[in-house]
Amino acid sequence: MTYVHGKHAAPKTFLSKYVFSFDHKVIAKQFLWYGIFFLFVGGLMAIMIRWTQAYPGEAFPVIGSFLFPETGGVIPPDTYSMLFTLHGTIMIFYAITPILIGAFGNFCIPLMIGARDMAFPLLNMLSFHIAAVSGIILLASLFFPLGGAAGGWTSYPTLSTLIGSPGSGQTLWCLAIFVLGVSSTMGAVNYITTVISFRAPGMGYFDMPLTVWGLWLTAILNAIFLPVLGAGVMLLIFDRVFGTTFFLAGAAATSGTGDPILFQHVFWIFGHPEVYILILPAWGIVSDILSFFARKPAFGAKSTALAMTTISILSTVVYGHHMFTTQMSPLLTQTFMTLTMTISIPSAVLFANWLGTLYKGSIRFDTPMLFSLGVVFVFGLGGLTGLYLGTVSTDLYLHDTYFVVGHFHYTMAASVLLGGFGATYFWFPKMFGRMMDEKLGKIHFWATMLGLNGIFFGMMVMGFAGMHRRLYNPFVYEHLEKLLPISTFVTWSAILMGFAQIPFVINCVISLRSKKQAPDNPWNVGTLEWTIPSPPIHYNFEEIPTVKCGPHEFGNPNLPEGKDFQYQTEDLVKA
Amino acid sequence: MMTKTAENIQQKEASQLGFYIALVSWGMLFAALFLSYALYRFQNTQWPPMGFEKVSLLWPCLSTGLIALSSFTIHKYQVAFHSIDRKNAKVFLGSTLFLGFAFLVTQKLLWLSLENSGLVTSSGIFASILHGFTWIHAGHVVLGLAGLIYLLTTLKSDHLGHVRFENRVENIIKFWHFLGIIWGLMFVVLFLI
Amino acid sequence: MTLLERMAPPEIITTNGHLIDYLFSYTTIMNLIFFFFVCLGLFGFSYLYSSKRSAKGEYTYGNKKKQQAIVGYLIGASVFLLIDINITRMSNDDMLNEFWNFPKAEEEVIKVEVLAQQWMWNFRMAGADGEFNTADDVLTNHDLHLPVGKKVEFRITSKDVIHSFFIPNARLKVDAMPGRISRMWFETTKTGAFEIACAEMCGTHHYLMKGRLHVHSEEEWNEWYNEAQNLADIGNDNDNIDNFWGWKWESEQ
Repeated sequence: MTYVHGKHAAPKTFLSKYVFSFDHKVIAKQFLWYGIFFLFVGGLMAIMIRWTQAYPGEAFPVIGSFLFPETGGVIPPDTYSMLFTLHGTIMIFYAITPILIGAFGNFCIPLMIGARDMAFPLLNMLSFHIAAVSGIILLASLFFPLGGAAGGWTSYPTLSTLIGSPGSGQTLWCLAIFVLGVSSTMGAVNYITTVISFRAPGMGYFDMPLTVWGLWLTAILNAIFLPVLGAGVMLLIFDRVFGTTFFLAGAAATSGTGDPILFQHVFWIFGHPEVYILILPAWGIVSDILSFFARKPAFGAKSTALAMTTISILSTVVYGHHMFTTQMSPLLTQTFMTLTMTISIPSAVLFANWLGTLYKGSIRFDTPMLFSLGVVFVFGLGGLTGLYLGTVSTDLYLHDTYFVVGHFHYTMAASVLLGGFGATYFWFPKMFGRMMDEKLGKIHFWATMLGLNGIFFGMMVMGFAGMHRRLYNPFVYEHLEKLLPISTFVTWSAILMGFAQIPFVINCVISLRSKKQAPDNPWNVGTLEWTIPSPPIHYNFEEIPTVKCGPHEFGNPNLPEGKDFQYQTEDLVKA
Repeated sequence: MMTKTAENIQQKEASQLGFYIALVSWGMLFAALFLSYALYRFQNTQWPPMGFEKVSLLWPCLSTGLIALSSFTIHKYQVAFHSIDRKNAKVFLGSTLFLGFAFLVTQKLLWLSLENSGLVTSSGIFASILHGFTWIHAGHVVLGLAGLIYLLTTLKSDHLGHVRFENRVENIIKFWHFLGIIWGLMFVVLFLI
Repeated sequence: MTLLERMAPPEIITTNGHLIDYLFSYTTIMNLIFFFFVCLGLFGFSYLYSSKRSAKGEYTYGNKKKQQAIVGYLIGASVFLLIDINITRMSNDDMLNEFWNFPKAEEEVIKVEVLAQQWMWNFRMAGADGEFNTADDVLTNHDLHLPVGKKVEFRITSKDVIHSFFIPNARLKVDAMPGRISRMWFETTKTGAFEIACAEMCGTHHYLMKGRLHVHSEEEWNEWYNEAQNLADIGNDNDNIDNFWGWKWESEQ
């Protein structure tokens, strides 16, 4: 890399400061806005999906007649397929990944481990620009003849080959995912190296805040498993463009044809770790924030870190539970079921430690804390409902129903989103030097929480009643007709959740425009990023700090009167 | 406060580590391909599938020889870079580049010979694998060649052995060796067994 | 209709469907207990130890032997023994004894070959010769007719993309994949008309890929079968090669 730490002058021009910046804090903000933009796009798509589910055949209000003039505002079935495909893709790869990993990964890792920047700033910058290219490809695919990809976010062949989806939408989707994979892998290499090589002197691995642990494990999973997806989509592109037959098989299967199920294997070898790629940063952030606001050391911080590591390792060997209905051999099925169940043990350790942190604390209910408590609640629901899907026989019924949709939204969407919001409220003062408004934040929290539980619990109920996924109009089935009122309720919950984001946007705008400078350490927290001014100077630390104690030093009885925490740069106070 | 040299050392270690991680990532890309290959083979009782014959080993063998030789010459270039031996650096970087291009030529000839023997891309999984996997590898070789061409700038008078280029030289060379190893595996797996 | 009625899954029409509902209920009860404790901790501690009531947090890292033992035993006992081991065992038993325990070759079974295609279900039953893929096969699409109280075995494949053969009333589904044959069996207990769904996204009109399952009493079914077979002799277009999408039924596949 062209650039050695400590050599670079602060950028002066607009372009070098905001567009082609090497500074991890600026790249973090770029990812944040990128993610929030796509969150809006994906959210709008979700509302459209919900609308067809509650009011099939009715025009989408306000913007419907503008978007779908041929049908007078009604969302047509092929567009519906594109909507749920792109909703999934966008939310996972273009909203949550950039916000939690791109934005908070970039922002928190160097600041929390006491580094001046990422290990490879050039790589970091390229990582964002490549992600931007990928986003453009994905959005552009919508405007090609026959529209965007419509095979579901999993894009199983042979539906995603030319047999099931002609046109360039699906090809561009594959390309966008591949390019994004390159970007994320670059980011991951950077994060892993930074954590290993650039920790401040004195900081052992268990002195790292759990946020960094979560982000680091995420990066490791990303670096290992994204290329697997890359290989899968590349072969899919070959099938579509060059006429190979990797994933094609006919009813007259003679020896030597391809195999559509292979893509499922490859996809889920990546796909299951991906679930944890999304949730691990949120777990880390929540574990930290619970301790920070309970004013008490994180209960069993080491075991939390180890539990997260265990889950990361286990996540690589359980992917088969996504494929129970493909009738793998009974032995494989049993193995995957048993392995899947073992994940509940480290997950339960996390819960025990979170509750242990709250126990006998002195809890302050600031907005970041509310969001973190929310994560514990919704992740509890999400994790426990996973049990039904990891067990083979109940999965036979529930697989590909709305129960699955509800379950994975609880784990991947609700928990991660709440974690991301918590992180935003928590680090906003450090990022922008302004505090966010508490009152609006609390309105935002309660409305979001109400909305998302309505949506995702409602979905699980519908799933158990037998409603399967990805139906343009589920009510053509007689046994699902009775679910219309529940579906409507879910839709209105979704609309509530959509509107619940308005206070957040207002809050952002007001806070950014306000003149009132945030204090350097508004939350009274001892990790390294709070030892420096808000927002941090170029290169973060005038002098690289030396770490002398852990990140969660709260309530030490030996501390002087009126102080209940100490900085990581201070010697641990002893009696 | 750390001195500049200490920071250089730290950056160098990070660069090495980072590149190894990147190689693991790349390795996983190819590992996924090999896994797919294994599954295809286990599912087919007969391999090559009915109606196909084993591929002539002429071009694959030649490719293997070329890329093995290029690994040797690039190692010689590395030695020359560190000992600031401009003459040898020129000779060995030049011959690596030549061998790299020659490898691509043999790959093209391999694809042509496959098509001549009826193994066009759309003629079933056997042909798909032979073509698709070698394409992906060849794509990476193109990337590696771009890196080698970039290394030509190190031949300037005061660039050899310069600390500024050290990490880049090391990493590009590692990548080139990596491509050689992957080709070796592909040769054994796709063509020999 | 009350909310509970709306939330209820479809009526069970097979001999083993209740096993799945039972396991679901068991898991639900275990989950509720576990989640109750999580909520108790979450809301209880939030109430008891809010900064208003508790001025100072306890200074503990939670790494003492006693603390870790509590966590360890709680999890070991509640999660692993009560939930994981039990539901894995129950599910495994159900699978081995019922869902994977396909009818033996010598048993009397109604055999059905299923071909999924965008967006239709094709069903094939052997004619009088008992052989599949012959001219006298009984071919239907959309509608599947079965007798009550008999074991039925399905062999399922797909013509184009992946579909999933889902019978909500039997609580069973299995993917229909091009190039592979998957299997499913059940024994019906109730007569009536039920629905067959495609549960895997299979294109724009996925939602219209709806079949009908008619379970008749044995006499009615015999009547239907005989008539259908007579019709097959006359009605099947045997020049159309596409009609011969079936394959030879092997007892073990």
